[in-house]
Amino acid sequence: MRIVRTVTLACAVAAALWAQQLKLNLDHLAGKASDSVDVSLNNSMLQFAAKFLDGKDPDEAAVKRLIAGIDGIYIRSYEFKQDGAWSQADLDQVRNQLKAPDWSRILGIKSAEEGDSAEVHVCNQNGKITGVVILVTGAKEFTVANIVGAVSLESLADLGGHFGLPRLEQQKGTKKR
Amino acid sequence: MDWLEDELRQALRRKDPSPDFEARVMAAARRRPVLTMPRWLAAAAALLVITSAGLGYRYHRGQAAKAQVMTAMRLTGSKLSRIQMQIKAARP
Repeated sequence: MRIVRTVTLACAVAAALWAQQLKLNLDHLAGKASDSVDVSLNNSMLQFAAKFLDGKDPDEAAVKRLIAGIDGIYIRSYEFKQDGAWSQADLDQVRNQLKAPDWSRILGIKSAEEGDSAEVHVCNQNGKITGVVILVTGAKEFTVANIVGAVSLESLADLGGHFGLPRLEQQKGTKKR
Repeated sequence: MDWLEDELRQALRRKDPSPDFEARVMAAARRRPVLTMPRWLAAAAALLVITSAGLGYRYHRGQAAKAQVMTAMRLTGSKLSRIQMQIKAARP
């Protein structure tokens, strides 16, 4: 009975993670890109990396706090020298996985002039954020960042102010670290 | 060619060692100490090498994972920062 319960629980956890982790089949863009970033870190790699982060360094300390509850980080970022290197199908492939009821778009920006767009989607399960996807596209850029697990939006916002980035403004009423 | 054959036969002729040959060899062998390493020392040295290599590999993998995490966070932070700037710019 105990085995059945354990297997059921493991399947439930795996299914939940499966829903939050996107399938990013964008390797064909890497060949066209002038610059590309491909990061795939699962929970064990993140926890392993955390052991090597220096808590005294402000940048590394912020990252250490953020990755404490995260199950995975998957990023594909491509920059191109020419326009039109990526297609609508590439964008749709990502967007089609971000569907209700689990996923909801909390932010969407589109610049008609420059053709840039940015979207932030969050995965809500039982009232908790269990995944975040940041999708940024431009004429010469295609970036998708998928953070899987209990992501604290405050900790994400806390990334501003580090790595030489400007501090992100937080809305009134949210706690400041 | 007879002289050459004679010379060769002379040079290659079986010659018995001198009576004290064996004693001289044994004495020389005794004089030269044989360098033998205790087994435990060899095992300890091997263990040390294997452990050091393992720790070195672990450190290397850790640094690579850390670099990936930092790259991921730097990229995510920069995109969020850009989004916020776009929101700011769009505000009336």
